[in-house]
Amino acid sequence: MLNTLVVVWRESLEAMLVVGILLGWIGRQADPAPLRRGLWAGVAAGVALALLLGVATFAAQSQMQGQALELFQLAMVLLAVVLVSEMVFWMHRHGRAMKRELEARAAQRASVLGIAAIAAIAVAREGTETAIFLYGIVAEAAGASLAGLLAAALAGFALAALTAAVVARGARWISYRAVFAASEAALLLIGAALLAHAIDRLIGLDWLPPGIDPLWDSSALLDDSRGAGRLLADFTGYRARPCATLVAGLALYWAYVAVRLRAGSGANAPVPRGANPEVAP
Amino acid sequence: MRGARSTSVVAGASALLLAAAAALAADAEPVIQHEVVIKAGRIEPARIEVPAGRKLRLALRNEGPGPAEFENLDLRIEKVLAPGAASFVVIHPLRPGSYRFVDEFHPETAAMVIVAK
Repeated sequence: MLNTLVVVWRESLEAMLVVGILLGWIGRQADPAPLRRGLWAGVAAGVALALLLGVATFAAQSQMQGQALELFQLAMVLLAVVLVSEMVFWMHRHGRAMKRELEARAAQRASVLGIAAIAAIAVAREGTETAIFLYGIVAEAAGASLAGLLAAALAGFALAALTAAVVARGARWISYRAVFAASEAALLLIGAALLAHAIDRLIGLDWLPPGIDPLWDSSALLDDSRGAGRLLADFTGYRARPCATLVAGLALYWAYVAVRLRAGSGANAPVPRGANPEVAP
Repeated sequence: MRGARSTSVVAGASALLLAAAAALAADAEPVIQHEVVIKAGRIEPARIEVPAGRKLRLALRNEGPGPAEFENLDLRIEKVLAPGAASFVVIHPLRPGSYRFVDEFHPETAAMVIVAK
């Protein structure tokens, strides 16, 4: 019973956190209504996709079909990494200073699509496993235990929604600047976690070699299979015993993020007095 | 554009890294294969002994009745299997020790240990 609650809570938390963060950010925009509609349309599309993927998982009986499905999910995760990081770069450039209305409106159309896509993938990815898990509960349990398990599953959902709502509400009480910084950081960390997950999968498929494995072992300090370490693993890509390939992948990701963020803020920042514009690359 | 150039630098670096890693992986020792069957909330066999330092390939089959998630968080292996579905997972060379796998959907009963010696 407790297992059911924990599984559902954990599986739905990431999607709900993404939604919570985006809602918090949207709430601070000049014209939030279309953005909010885009977000919920994305969530609805994500639920539909999750159900579809759940059905496909049951239909895919052979190893080959299973692998095709896995590749689809892998592509989805990698697409999410790209979308989430691009979204953050975009937020970084435009979110702080959408001064002129025309500029804001043009930018908003693109961001509605981006927000919808991110929400859809986040929900679909996590929702698929939840749907399969819940199906299993219904298929295997009977009578009284079924009711209890479904109640536990609902409680897990509610707990995840509550967690996300706290995040979205919390955004109201902190300053503008802090909201932007915090949502950018949180989304980038989720991007890193998604990338780590994709690399793990690629290694499990034998498409990527692990390299030196593990490169280090910090499991005595912070075990990544339970408690806080597991949360960090799910939301930041932390690994207690990472292989070299994973470390290299994440290092490249953060290097890329740093370069893009710097380029983004450079474009908006006023040129300091005395600086020679020719020198800038 | 600065962003575009740095993008291509990063892309180039990752391509190089992948190529190097692929070259390292090419030295192929025969992979050790094992079959694992998940059935009625149990994983069979309950224990597999393998030599340490060799690559393993586990052929997984879920005979139901419900779905299963074959998992070892330490090795970052997670595989969801519908009833009746078959799949596989590659485990890269292990250090000596024992590694516990569970079916996350039935954590109380379904467990398997791989012992690497």
